[in-house]
Order: sequence, then structure tokens, then C-alpha cells
Amino acid sequence: MDRLLFIVDEVSTWVGKTAGWCIVILTFTTSYEVFMRYLFLAPTEWAFDASYMLYGTLFMLAGAYTLARNGHVRGDFIYRAWPPRRQAKWDLVLYFLFFFPGMLAFIYAGFGYAKLSWMMKEHSSASPFGPPVYHFKSLIPIVGVLMVMQGIVEVIRCIQCIRTGEWPKRLHDVEELEKVMLEKAEHGDYEVVKELEEIGVRKGDI
Amino acid sequence: MFGIGNPELGVIMLGMFVVFIMFGFPIAFTLMALGVFFGYFAMGDLIFQLLVQRSYSVMTNDVLISIPLFVFMGYIIERANILDRLFRSLQLAAGPVPASLALATLATCAIFATATGIVGACVTLMGLLAFPAMLRAGYDVKIASGVVCAGGCLGILIPPSVMLILYGATAGVSVVKLYAGAFFPGIMLASLYMLYVIIMTLLNPALAPRLPPEERNVPTKAILIALLTSFAPLAGLIGAALGSIIFGLATPSEAAAMGSLGALLLAIGYGADYSKRWRLLLIQAYGVMIAALLIYLIVCGLTAIDVHRYFITVALFTTLFVGLVLIPGTSFTIGQLKESVFLTARTTAMVCWLFIGSFTFSAVFAYLGGHEPVEKFVLAMNLSSTGFMILAQFIIFLLGWPLEWTEIIVIFMPIFLPLLKTFNVDPLFFGLLVALNIQTSFLSPPVAMAPFYLKGVAPSWVNINDIFRGVMPFMIIVIVSMIMLYAFPQIGLWLPTQLYR
Repeated sequence: MDRLLFIVDEVSTWVGKTAGWCIVILTFTTSYEVFMRYLFLAPTEWAFDASYMLYGTLFMLAGAYTLARNGHVRGDFIYRAWPPRRQAKWDLVLYFLFFFPGMLAFIYAGFGYAKLSWMMKEHSSASPFGPPVYHFKSLIPIVGVLMVMQGIVEVIRCIQCIRTGEWPKRLHDVEELEKVMLEKAEHGDYEVVKELEEIGVRKGDI
Repeated sequence: MFGIGNPELGVIMLGMFVVFIMFGFPIAFTLMALGVFFGYFAMGDLIFQLLVQRSYSVMTNDVLISIPLFVFMGYIIERANILDRLFRSLQLAAGPVPASLALATLATCAIFATATGIVGACVTLMGLLAFPAMLRAGYDVKIASGVVCAGGCLGILIPPSVMLILYGATAGVSVVKLYAGAFFPGIMLASLYMLYVIIMTLLNPALAPRLPPEERNVPTKAILIALLTSFAPLAGLIGAALGSIIFGLATPSEAAAMGSLGALLLAIGYGADYSKRWRLLLIQAYGVMIAALLIYLIVCGLTAIDVHRYFITVALFTTLFVGLVLIPGTSFTIGQLKESVFLTARTTAMVCWLFIGSFTFSAVFAYLGGHEPVEKFVLAMNLSSTGFMILAQFIIFLLGWPLEWTEIIVIFMPIFLPLLKTFNVDPLFFGLLVALNIQTSFLSPPVAMAPFYLKGVAPSWVNINDIFRGVMPFMIIVIVSMIMLYAFPQIGLWLPTQLYR
């Protein structure tokens, strides 16, 4: 079971990380455009369309990856204090109440939207260059499917957590610096902090 | 079918959202689902079109493009091991002034947080760097923790900040004007913080004992070199990015892209190991090569020879990229680049999915006419423009206690925005006040990100209550600066009106 969950995780992660490299391409193409436009007064035709497509692809495809890392922002000022079991119960209910209906609507609507675009062989009207946009629009239903798959995995995790009372482990991945540092500090990995503890002791003596 | 103009339904929708936000489910999906449900009741199948169009408008939004770029720049700088040297050089520079460590901390935070835009990282990093240094020097715990927490949050206010982009995208205000407007209020807040620290130290020198003389009297040359190698490049990078936006030379996304590119070079340069001579030579040769290509490019541009310039521009970028991979001995590795890329993907997805949810939600809310009862309710209070301003800011201040800034800006701002017109308030000016106000949301309990992060890396004898007590005066300073900005709007509006008449 766990292996199956990890396989879905890995698919979402791989898709998200691959799409992540769009940011490097976006950095370089936009900089290239800046050089061409301001240095040579010869702006490229494609830079504008390329930029929003890269940006859109980046965040859409990273959606499921972010879900797999539990990275979508929560209003968790109460949630945080709950025991894992209660967190999992509410998550479970709300996945069915909110997440799946919303995402299914997203897929349904996105499918029609993309289909129409393919039928018209729609091209961008945002610039005279006018590249095709039907591929880009197809992202909406595709991402929807990825999200639903990842959502099912998260639901299974909720059930596991309700059974065991602990959130199941996730695959290891890069984390925000502050998170890593806080964890390290909790394990007492920082010499500076140890040294400071002594200052506290001395202060107590005085 | 209820059809258009069902304000009661809109109010129920908003109420349900406020209730469900507390259950801690990812907000983006809560918003999206509520939008779809209520939309389906009100307009039937049309909601699907609305949903997909709103989503697509986020995917092609030309304001939001700059978010991943600024975030990427931030992650690279965060991982470039720059903070140590920056803090040390500023500490040396502040040497003879009273409370020099605290002032250096504030300045370091302001610059680092502005460049990275990541509050959490700035507070934890400084919590392990500046906080210990201050405690060792015998500083009062309260003032030391206040300085680290308050300083770390400045990056959200001082442009180029991601928060202002979010506000611009939500409120339809030009990001360029917001950047120009937030510049002086940001500087003012940082200066007020510093002023407070200096005054407190003058009143009670025991709060911040002076450093030993050998750390105070460093030769000017050493200070200058330290500043030139750490402070100057970073300040230059921010200045160039911000300057080109404010003076209309480049769009925010273009400036952000150049900023990311600059940050990559900076990270390589900072990380390089200059101890071995051949490495130094190699890096110098690399620098000369890039400079030569650039000069050639500019000459080509000026003389309108266009045979080689495409080729050379491509060559320049390839060189940059190859250098990134191959420069030996730099501590900025491909691994760190990967980390930055992946974290950028996640942060961007988090913010932009929130926008998909919120765009859908607010479109349905507006369709239902949910603003009407809110507006009627506020109008019934018979407020003056000032009264409304105070009320709105007070509500945002209160929202900042349980919520974080992303939620406040993306979700609650759309509710206030229609009221601004009624009360004749400039959305730009309102945004500047909000930007100041949001500072407190990091500092106020129970969801006080900055104090809790600091507590996480502080020794066990530093009490969380001490940290909160230390932060309190800085929160009051934020409110004072809001009053100052309200009393003298020119602090914020002077620069934008000068530049964009």
C-alpha cells in the first residue's frame, strides 16, 4: 500500500520538479529579451507569450507536487494545536466536501475549455506572434487529474493517520531553510546555542 | 436558480468561508469549492465557464509572472552563504555607535530580507548569528529578540517585495506605483526602529553594552573592503532591480529576471574559494570574458552591427550557464540551484493556486452582490473617510493575529476594495498602509511567526514571553509609522506622483 502511495507521490513530485526548471528558462529568456529590447531595440516576438506560458506551466504542474509536500497554505491557527487524529478526521471530511467536488468541476470545465480550443486550433491573441495556446489550455484538465490522484493518496494518508494516530512519513525532499534549521535546533545540533545555554546558567548564578 | 443579486447568499458564502478557514483545510481548495457550489446555485452551468476562465486568467496574468522570478532570486540569495559576511561587515561599520550590534542587525535584516523576501529564513538565520552575538555581548534579551524579529519582517514591506505584487494583482493597482510608494515608508520604518534602539540605549546603557575596544576600532580600510565585498553587491543588486522598475526602465518581471540572473552570479562569486591562486585567476578570467562579451554587445548595439549580436548574446548566456556549472571551488553548487528551483516551484504553486481559488470565489461573490450588505452595513455606521480608514486598518490588524499575510491580501482585500471608492480612498495609499499594517501580523500572537521561529533556535532560558515583550515596542512603532503616513501621505505618495504624473 505504502509503495503505491509513494509511486503517486513520485509522479507528482517528478512532474512538479521538472516543471520547476521553467523558472530557470524563464529567467534566461526574459533576460535575453531585456538585452535584445533595451540594448538593440530589437525585441523578440516570442518573449511575451513564452513568459506567461512558462509561468503558467510552472505553477500549474507544481500544484500536485505542492499538495504532496503539504505545501498549500492553511489557516491553521487552531488546526496546528490539534492532535494528528483530529486533524486527519477533518481533513478527510473536507477532502470529500471541498477538494474533490472543486477539482472535478475543474477537470470537467477544463476539459470542455481545452477541447474547444483544440477544435478551433486556437492561437494566442495576446501578441502578433500568436503561438498556439491549445496545448497550454490542455494543462487545466491534465493538472486536475494529477491533483485528484494526489488527493486520493492524501485521503488514504488521512485514514492511515486516523488508524495509527500519527501522520505517515512522506518521501524526503528539500525543505524551507527555516524548517530545517528549527529541526536541527530541536536536536541540539548548534554549538552556538549550547554556548548560549552556559551564559544562561552563569546569569542564574549572579 | 437564484439568479443575480442574491446578497444574502453572498453573505452566507462569506460566513461559511470564515468558519471553514478555521478547520485548517488548504484555503485555495476551500475557496474554489465554495465558489463552485454557490456559483452553481446562482448561475447553473455557467459557473464552469467562470471557473475555467478565472483559472486561465491566473495562468496568463502578466502581474503574477514576477512572483516566481522574485521568489527564485530570494531562494538563491538565501542559499548563497552571504549573511555571515554581510552582518560582520555592517557590525564593523557600526562599530563606534552605541548599540552597534542591534543597529547592524536591523540593517542586515532590512537588506537581506528585502533581497530574499523570506521572513522565516531571515529570522532563523539571524537568530543563530546576530542573536547569539548580542547575548554574548551582554545585550538585554528583550531588545535583542525585538530587533531580530522586527528586522526580519521588513523585507515584506521594502520593495521589491512579493506582497506588493500580490496586492497589486488583487487591487488592480500598478505594482510600479506601489514600489515607488512603499520605498520611503519602508525606509522610515527601518529608521524608526533604529532610532528607538539608539534612544533606549542612551537612556539605559546597560541594555546594550559597548563592544570591547578591539572590535570597535577596526582600520577603516578593512571596514571598507568588508563592505565592498558583501554589502555593496547585494545593495547594488536590489538597487538596480528596484531602480529600473521605479524609473520605468523595465517591467517588474523583467527586473526580477535580471535580478535572478544577478543573484546567480552573486552566489557563485560569494561562494568561490579565493584561497588558491589558480582559482582566483580562473574566476578573474571568467569575469573578464563576461565583461568582454558584454562590452562587445553594447558596442554592437550602439553601432548597429547586427551580424554577430544574436550569436554573442547566446554566447553570453551560455557562458553564464556553463560558468555556473563549471567554476571550480564555488560553494554554490548545482544541488543548491536545484533546491532553489524546487522550492520556487512549490511557493509559486501555493500562491498562484490561492489566486485561482480567490478569483473564482470573489467573482461569484460579486455576481451574487455580496458586497451590498457589507457596504450597507458599513455605510449605516455613518463613518467619515478617516473613520472608515481606521476601522479597515483595525480589522486588518485583528485579522493579522490568527492569519498570515497571504490570506489577508488575497482573500480579505477584495471585500474592502469596493468600499474604497465609496469613501474616496486611493487604493494605492490604502495599500501602503496595509503593507505597514501587515508587519504586525508576523509579530502578534498567537500566530506570530517571527517570535516562534526565534524561540525555536534560541537557548532554552530565553522565554517566549520575553520575546513577545521585546517585540511589543516594535509593534507600537509600526502603528506610529502608520499614523505618520496617514497624517503626512506625502511620505508615500510623493515619489509616485513625481515620477508618474
